Amino acid sequence: MKILKIKAWIRDNLDQIVLSLLIVPALALIFTFQFIPAAWTIWFSFTDMALIGKKALNWSFIGFKNYLDLITDVYFWRSMNVTIQYCAVSLVLRFTIGMLAALFMTLSKVKGKIFIAAVFLLPSAIPGIMHPYVWISMLEPNYGTLNTILGSFGLPRQSWTYGAVTESLIMINTWAGYTFTMILMASAFKSIPREYYEVAEVYGASRWQKFRKVTFPLIKFPLILCLILIFKEDIDDFTYAYMFTGESPRPDFKTELLSLYAYHKAFHYYELGFGCAVGFIIAIIVFVLTLLQLKFARL
Amino acid sequence: MSSVLKKIGEPSYTLLEYVVLITLMIYVLTPLLWLLETSVNTDPTPYLSIPKGITIDHFIAVLTNRPITGGYAAHPVYMTRWIMNSLIISGTTVIIVVMLAALSGYSLSRLRFKGKNLLMTLILLSGFMPRMAMILPLFKLCRTLGFVDNLIGIAIVVSSGTLPTQIWILKGFFDQLPRDLEEQAWICGCDRISAVFRVILPNVGPGLAVVAFMSFLSGWGAFTVPLILIRREYLFPISLGIASVFIHNPGEIGLVVDYGPTCALAVLYAVPSIALYILLRERLMEIRLARLEVR
Repeated sequence: MKILKIKAWIRDNLDQIVLSLLIVPALALIFTFQFIPAAWTIWFSFTDMALIGKKALNWSFIGFKNYLDLITDVYFWRSMNVTIQYCAVSLVLRFTIGMLAALFMTLSKVKGKIFIAAVFLLPSAIPGIMHPYVWISMLEPNYGTLNTILGSFGLPRQSWTYGAVTESLIMINTWAGYTFTMILMASAFKSIPREYYEVAEVYGASRWQKFRKVTFPLIKFPLILCLILIFKEDIDDFTYAYMFTGESPRPDFKTELLSLYAYHKAFHYYELGFGCAVGFIIAIIVFVLTLLQLKFARL
Repeated sequence: MSSVLKKIGEPSYTLLEYVVLITLMIYVLTPLLWLLETSVNTDPTPYLSIPKGITIDHFIAVLTNRPITGGYAAHPVYMTRWIMNSLIISGTTVIIVVMLAALSGYSLSRLRFKGKNLLMTLILLSGFMPRMAMILPLFKLCRTLGFVDNLIGIAIVVSSGTLPTQIWILKGFFDQLPRDLEEQAWICGCDRISAVFRVILPNVGPGLAVVAFMSFLSGWGAFTVPLILIRREYLFPISLGIASVFIHNPGEIGLVVDYGPTCALAVLYAVPSIALYILLRERLMEIRLARLEVR
């Protein structure tokens, strides 16, 4: 009797069931290679596991001890401070520059758009492994291009790799990372139908009104997605910070982003559990901010 | 002449545009000057300098697979193998991502159920854990599955990272497709699946092109995942290969052995993606993003 009922239900909803099955492979893939390692990391963060030594094998569950240590850790808060500055400025710059580049590629009356697009794509087209070398040639205090230019204008030379290192990091990260915004926003601008502006002009809309009533609502969603993905990448990626730091934190902590701090804790001081706890804190920050942004996007 | 003076006298939006554009171009291009200069300089140095002589030897050295700077290379060179490996990884990534993103994007676009927005958000957030913190678990998981030193395995892991964004993009394309189209196909006797293959997919061609292009780039540029999972040198993709030959200890910022060929290779490496972008420009301009549905 029951089986018959189930059979009937399947027959009635066959279409929906087939449709739902289509998501399964993708979800399985994302689940296996993103969620399982993430859950595993969260589990590590509640243990006193070390990378090498006795604790590597005989580790034990220690509850929230890593998190308590973390809250009382002065260095954690210093690195949090650096991270907030770095992420905020990077986010603004990456977004603004990407947006300007997208405007030049699509809407502006400037000639030679294909050439402009090719130039703006260059930073992301060269291999990522070359970025550090390109930028060391630029920022090196004695022979670097930037100081040579400053010197030829009679301006004081800066110690880009030491004193102004956070600024240098932001400069590099912006240079390497604005292209994603550019590609996404260029397509968003391009997909706004011309007729909308013509209609707006017929009704005598001003420049600002055209932006407020036509452009903004149509690009709002890609815009939010850009901000989410940029923020995730900035807080996650420490390649450039690592290139100015190395295997142990700098004494002045100016390059110690949270992710780099977690890396140093896990792979330099071998406190894997603590490193994973910092990683989980980063994950929570990303999670909360993303949800907030999505919430605002819908308003 | 008078028109130029007039333009300077009355700053217009056009003038402002040119000023901003030139500033941006200087910012983008100045660091790259060194790369271009070094790739043709007879005497390459790590800093920008005026070349003593121009040569294309570095490009020839890279293209002819000639052993580079006899004896300095930290590892053996398998240039052609590496290019093949990279092509295998990015090709497989494209196939996996296009297939799965198309299926799930279509399904998410047509299904109506409670918690769909939550599912979409979860998909977007799937990469929320920093990659660094996942190195060890990912390695352990992949060792269990036999993905170490396995190019297809690498492609699968890389796909799982790029899939969420691509699902969002493709769902946007499906959302824009009128439902009448498939309903007509059903009336003509197609079932759900064959309607997808015969009617729906041909109509989201540009979307598939965008997804294919983006996933190709993510496979071609993959660095961290191969770094964790590949141990044998002849299985390196090209990105890791460059690092291992020209730079000691891939993943660490070490010493470049020979700047000339490295820069020549970097210049060559940049050509295909820019060419592809310009070729596909009109298609790539059509990215449509999914939006969460307001109830």
